[in-house]
Order: sequence, then C-alpha cells, then structure tokens
Amino acid sequence: MRRVPKGYVSHVENELYEVGRSIHAAFPGKSRHPLKALDQKAMDMAAQDAELRAALFRFVDVTPACRNLDDLASHLTAYLGEVDERPPPLEAAMRMSATKPGRAALGAAAATGVRRMAHRFIVGETPSAAVRAIGRLWDHGAAVSLDLLGEATVTQAEADRYAERCMDALETLAAAAPDWPERPVLEADSLGPLPRVNLSVKVSALSPLLRPEAPDVGREDAARRMHPLLVRANELGAHLHIDMESVDTLEATIELVFDVLDEPDFADGPSTGVVLQAYLRESPEQLERVIEWATHTRRRPPIVVRLVKGAYWDHEIVEARQHGWTPPVFEEKAESDRNFEALTRRLLEAWPHVRPAIASHNLRSVAHAVAANRDAGREDRDLELQVLRGLGDELAAALADHGMRVRIYCPVGDMVAGMAYLVRRLLENTANESFLGDQQRGVPVDELLAAP
Amino acid sequence: MSPEGFRNEPILELRRAPARESLLEALRELDSQLPLEVPVLIGGERGAVEGIESTDPGAPERLVARAGEAGEEDVSAALDLAERGFREWSTRSAAERAEALRGAAARLRERRLELAALQVRECAKPWPEADADVCEAIDFLEYYALEAVELERGRELVQVPGERNTMRYAPRGVTAVIAPWNFPLAIACGMTAAALAVGNAALLKPAEQSPGNALALVEALHESGVPREALALLPGYGDTGAALVRDRRVHVIAFTGSAAVGLEILRLAAETPDDQGHVKRVVSEMGGKNCVIVDADADLDEAVPEILYSAFGFAGQKCSAAARVLVHEAIADRLAHRLTGAIEVLEVGQADDFASEVPPVIDREAQERVLRYRDVAGDAIAASARDVPEEGWFVAPSLAVGLPEGSEVNREEIFGPLLSLTSVIDVDEAMDVIASLPFALTGGLFSRSPATVERVAARSPVGNLYINRGITGAMVGRQPFGGNRRSGVGSKAGGPDYLLQFVEPRVVTENTMRHGISVEGTGTGNP
Repeated sequence: MRRVPKGYVSHVENELYEVGRSIHAAFPGKSRHPLKALDQKAMDMAAQDAELRAALFRFVDVTPACRNLDDLASHLTAYLGEVDERPPPLEAAMRMSATKPGRAALGAAAATGVRRMAHRFIVGETPSAAVRAIGRLWDHGAAVSLDLLGEATVTQAEADRYAERCMDALETLAAAAPDWPERPVLEADSLGPLPRVNLSVKVSALSPLLRPEAPDVGREDAARRMHPLLVRANELGAHLHIDMESVDTLEATIELVFDVLDEPDFADGPSTGVVLQAYLRESPEQLERVIEWATHTRRRPPIVVRLVKGAYWDHEIVEARQHGWTPPVFEEKAESDRNFEALTRRLLEAWPHVRPAIASHNLRSVAHAVAANRDAGREDRDLELQVLRGLGDELAAALADHGMRVRIYCPVGDMVAGMAYLVRRLLENTANESFLGDQQRGVPVDELLAAP
Repeated sequence: MSPEGFRNEPILELRRAPARESLLEALRELDSQLPLEVPVLIGGERGAVEGIESTDPGAPERLVARAGEAGEEDVSAALDLAERGFREWSTRSAAERAEALRGAAARLRERRLELAALQVRECAKPWPEADADVCEAIDFLEYYALEAVELERGRELVQVPGERNTMRYAPRGVTAVIAPWNFPLAIACGMTAAALAVGNAALLKPAEQSPGNALALVEALHESGVPREALALLPGYGDTGAALVRDRRVHVIAFTGSAAVGLEILRLAAETPDDQGHVKRVVSEMGGKNCVIVDADADLDEAVPEILYSAFGFAGQKCSAAARVLVHEAIADRLAHRLTGAIEVLEVGQADDFASEVPPVIDREAQERVLRYRDVAGDAIAASARDVPEEGWFVAPSLAVGLPEGSEVNREEIFGPLLSLTSVIDVDEAMDVIASLPFALTGGLFSRSPATVERVAARSPVGNLYINRGITGAMVGRQPFGGNRRSGVGSKAGGPDYLLQFVEPRVVTENTMRHGISVEGTGTGNP
C-alpha cells in the first residue's frame, strides 16, 4: 500500500479530509422511514453473511420465473436450505414452508419483500411512471440519468423494442422536464448549459449480434439503432450516455462511440458521454485515447466521461480464470481505488475538453474528486458526481446539500423482472462494498477517508 | 484425483483484435503452402501421397491436403514394425514417455496458430473452436503424461504379514486409433497420446476428411522422441480402418465416430481367431441425441444463447451438440419464440470469418443427410437462418417445433444444425423421453431449483450432464468426457480412468517368508 509520507500531507489531501468530513456530517439521520429501516435490516443481515446474501440474490433472480406463491416459497426455502446458519426469522420461514397454506403465506410475504426492495432501486415501471419521482429528485437538487432494465437482447425484435423504449424515455422526459423548477447547479457548468434530460443506453441491448470475437457486426447493428436516438436526443436537447459493460463488449462499445461521434450529423450535439471503468488495468490507456480524441475533435459540447469502478468484477475474474487469461481487472480493491484517483486527476487535467463525472459511493473517492477539482482551480459546478439509486441516495442528499451537482443513475423497469436484472447486473458486484454501508456501521470518518 | 500441476492450455483471447489478427496472418501463411502433402508414414518412411484429397468444406474447389491411402500391405507392414516399436517403447519408464509427450505438446504449442488455421481450412471449424481444439490436443498430451506417471506407481492392495502384494499396469500392445474429422487434432491426439503414454505402439488412421491435421500430430510426436516404429500414420478410408480392426496383431482399438461404425468395430473385434493370443479391447465413443431440459423457472436470458451455441456451434457437428430441447409447457412458446428470433440472426458463413457463427458442414454427404432430416421435419420447421451462402456445404441452421416423439428427427443422430423443440408437462416427462432414447452422451438442464437439479442429476443416464450452461466444450481434467448406453463404452477421455482402457492390470503376490522368518518382520499383523 502506498502511504502518504509522515509529516507531509498534500494540499489536496488536506482539502479531501475537510470535504469528506463535511459531506459525512451532512448524511441524513438514519432512516426516518420505517419501511426503509426494515429493508435496511434485511440487507444488513445479508451483508454480514455471504451465504445468506447469495440465497437472497438467487431468490430475487428467480422471482419473475416463479408461477405462483407456492413456487415462490419452494424456491425461497430451497435457497435458504443451503445457508448453514440461519437467523431466527429465517428458521421460522423454513418451518412455514412445511404446509401448503404456510407456503402461500411465505410466498406472499416474499413477493412483497422483493417488490419493496425493488421500490428502493427502481424508480418506476416505465418512464412515464417514473416521471414524478424524477421530478421530485430534481426538486431536491439531484439530476437523473435513466437506465432501462430489460431482458437480454437475443433477437432483432428485442433490440427494436429496446430502442423504442429508449425513444419513449427521451420523449417522456423531454415532455416533463420543462415543468421542473430552475436548478442552476444542475443545468450549467462554466462550459455551458447541461441537458435536463439524460438517458443511459446499453450497446448490448441494441443488437443481438454483439459477439466478443466479432465486434464489428454487432457494432454496426447497434449503431443503426443508436443513430435515430442521437438524432432525436439532439432535437430534444437531451444527453445520451453510452454505458460500458463487460470486456466482452468493450471493443464494440468503444469503437461505436468513436464512430458515431465522428459523424458529421452530430458535430453540434447531442451531448453524449462514455464510461471509464477504473477496475480495468487498461483504463489509463483508454482514457488517453478518449482525451486524445476529445482534444482534437471539433464536436461540441464536450464529451462527458463517467468514471466508475466497474460492475462486472466477478464476471471478469471468473471468465479469465476459466480460460487461463490474466484478469483484465485489478484483483485488489485498493488497486482499483488508487487507479480511480489517478484517473480522476487525469480527467480533471483534460477539462475543458472533457466533462468529468465521478460515479462512486466511496466517500474517499468522492471527496478526492471534489478536493482535486478545487485544487485545479475549478469551480465545483465543473465537476459532476454520480450515484446509484437505492445505494447512494444518502450520499446524493449530502452532496446536494453541499451545492454539488449530483446525478442519480435510476433504473426503470418492471418491479419484479427488473429487480432480477438489477441483482444480476449491479447488486451482486457492488454488494460487498455498498451493502456493508461502512459509514452506517459507524466506522470513523477519518478511516473512511484514509488513502487506499 | 487430478494430477498435480496440470493446467489447461489457455485459449486465445479472441475478444482482442491483435489475437484475431495473429490468426488471420497464420491463415495467409498457410494458404500460401496449400495443398499439404500427407504421406503414409511407416517407420518414418514416407510412402504414397495419392488416393485422398481433403478440401475446404466452404470452398470445395480449394484443395487443402493430398494424402496417401494406406492399403492392406501398408497396414501389415506398419503392424510388423509396430510390434518392434512396442517392444522398445514399452520398456521405457513412464517418466521418459511423459517427457516425449510433453515435448510434443510443446511442438503443438509452437505451431498453435498455424494448426488452428489448418482446421479452419480442412474442416471449416470456426476460429474459436479451432483454437480450442489445438489447446485440447495439448491438454491431452500433458494430462496423460502426468496420469501415466501416476499409474506406473500401481495401486495399493491389502497387505498381511508374510506376503507382498503389488498391482501394476502393463501396456497392452499395438493400438489402432481410428479418429474422426470433427476434432481433427484433439481427438486423434487424445486417443494416440493415451495409447503411447502407457507404453503401447499406435497406428493412427485419421478421417479421410482431415489427414492434414493428423500429420501435424504424428510429426510432433516423432520429433519429440516417440520411436518412428512405435507410431505410424495410415491415412485412408473405411477399408484401412477395417483392415486394422481385423488384424490379430492389434490389441486395442480406440475409435471415435458414428454409432454404426462403432458397433461394427465392436463386432469385428470380438472375433478371436485361434491364432490370436489375446482378446481385443475396444474403446468406442459414438454418437448422441443430446437433450437440454428447460424447466419453467429457467433463466431464458441464459438458456437461449447457451442452447443456440450448443446446437449450432460448428454447425452442430460435435457428438456433444444439443439436438433436442425439452421445455416445460409453461414457457415453451416463449422459448420457441426467442429461439426463433435468435436463429434468424445467426450468421452463416465461412469459417475463416470471425463473424461467422455457423460454418458449412463437412461434405456433400453431410449436407444431403441434414437436408433429408429437414424434409422429414417439413412443416414443423419454425425457424431457419437467412442468407446462407450458395457455394460450400452449407445448411441453414433450423428449429423444428412439436414433432411427434417417434419422428426420426427426434430419435436419430443428425450431426448437423437441426434442433428439435418439444414441450413437456414437467421435468419428469422430459426425463422419460431421455430414458427412451438409446443414446446417453451429454445432456443439459436449465433450472434454478436446487431440488430439480438434484433430481435430474440422480436420474440422468448421460455421461456428461451440464447444469445452467451449454452442453459442449468439455475440458480435459475438468469434464472427463464420454457417453453411456449406445453412446459409448463408458470410458472418459481426459479423466483419471481413461488410461485404464489401454493397460492390463497385473498383480504379483510374493511370499516373503523365508524358513519361518518374515523378510519384513511380522509387525503387528496390521500394516
């Protein structure tokens, strides 16, 4: 581990501690909301026991495929049956499953549980259903990027459907956004205005043809559907963000981004963004490539680069191990964290050619970005901070309180099926970090802020 | 018990552009050398290079290799030499033989890209699978080398005072290896390496469609210290194989291929004329009619791509490939619908194009066979891929839905890109269907219920059952591979028991009492 030498604390490091402590102090008090407290309890329980967490995730994952309450209860008890030490409430659940009425009751309770959990993470079943919640977040000083949950794309019809849903989301948000009150922090930085409407899209959902060993075919097919979305986003003044997924689609995604951005049609917009995953060993080179492009392009407005840790860590490690490859990701969390800070600094250097958006729930990483941005002599509004709905809500509130621009990545989709996708895609990989909720377990703030 | 220190050869990371480019470069280099010349190779002497021509299934006018055809005299001469070769090779220690096998693995590793390219050309095997095939060949050499050293130690027996019991394994003799074209390097290599690792001599008769691949294997083994007399290459058609199978000098026949030929070999090998001093051992790996069960709680996002690849990867020309889907009625329509859409976008094309998902089948005969089954399926064909190239032995990958249980399409091995989907009322009905089929090679289950997984695992007759994943791609040391019932004799290639097929056990019991004194002391009677 790299330690700051004794007797020497950099200017940024000082500022970082100050910012971090201040944000930490602004965290809302623990759960005014009784339902939320209950959820939190279940999650705390799951967080402390890997087996229990696996059982819970497997259950949420299978929920949409269960045909009735009995089926739900059978799956739940089957997964719990594989947990060695069950807390008393779960023992009671196991006993209930012995009778048919017991299973019906257990199934109903479990279904309710999943729905409630879903409400924490999913902002609405459709964009129109989500509009009110999004408006409320805006009122409270947080912008949003919408993410459409759905099943994997294996057919052209499914890709078309996803593209239609994206189009609908753009239209719906664009229709609602003019009614939102003015929020200067969210609407402009010193480079110019920022769109109110912000949609994140997944390349893998835009084509069934995406294959790791043949990125061109899928890229072209996805680009065909991406094009009208960019055109419409441009007309509506909306921001389109291209998400990054696993390394299997990395090449296709990066090439697609550069291809469409170089199209003359889009020389003046829309505002777009890419994602940089700090857990990737190759991320520094990727960033250089983006910066190189951004420095020389005449395209406006500047590209947004969302810096994340990366949500496919388990997948990358397992795939690499099974094939005998060097994992493309750092294996130590601290390495990712250090790289995250290095990439943050590099991104800030590259301003105004790129707009940095730092997406993390790690107090240290966030405070570092704020401090480094200030150290570079920039205004706070030239830095965007992003969190995930359901996991970073309290951090978002604290950041908004500090007058920082914060954007919440909000999944939209079916409460049951969507929750299953979310578990698969996001929560499993962020579980260890986020469910533990170090800050909520009373870890001293200076420990949270210690250098990785 | 897996041998310590074994590690599967890493496949190329083809999601990276430089890895793909290196293969294309190797292909350009190979193309400049075609056609290859594959002689009959006996005692290191190069014989005829006439009689067989292997061509590119995707461009049949492209000659890939010109090979000799080993006749009866060649077979006889090879056997004479092999008996001599056996005497020399079998006296070497397992460690020495292992060294030679590892050397061959290193040779193949050096030529990896070129050998993958050769499979692309000679068998229209798509890049990822061609690369995996070369890796598997390397794995077999390394794995059996380690296993043979282990086997040489013998097995522990019960010991009592006054006697010493040892059990050892001795090579059987000359082994005829009759190999298929679909894993042109890996399977030929696996059977040959197993025979050699324990001290047998081997005569390799490759499929007439893939002699070029076999030559690379034999060269690698010869260059690494396997005596020329102990390993011959006998390219040929069925007659060459039959001559080998019938000869009384052959002790072991290792065969992988169709059920018809496999059963015929078993029959022929059982004839034991009076002047044959041994009973032939046959290792026969035959076909399959592999079923994937999809229960109502399956994750279709996973099941669809995995079924697709299992059924249509390498145009369904793997003995492990999925031939049938048995799906719970609650989700049958949904699965059929998604599979239909997914099949329609399958990229059918030349194996040398990374974009191709479904290459041509191996030859005209195969094309005609698959098309015949498609005709039988008739109106039941619910989906077919579009844009199938005209030239080459292409067949559009297709899905048949709702064929009656008795249809030939549902019962016979097609060995091509035709998948049949049947709706069942539950997993138990699916298991009944599987029980009624003569084959038992691979099988699959998509279910998220631990109880269902356990139930199916307990009842499934197949040699290799895969849960919530594709049903092809067994890895050496990780998924020992082989079928039961009419799919094979139960040997498991790439597993800890495989070498036992190629040896005979010998037990020695020595009286250690000398005039009332135990040589090793009486101890307490309980060693």
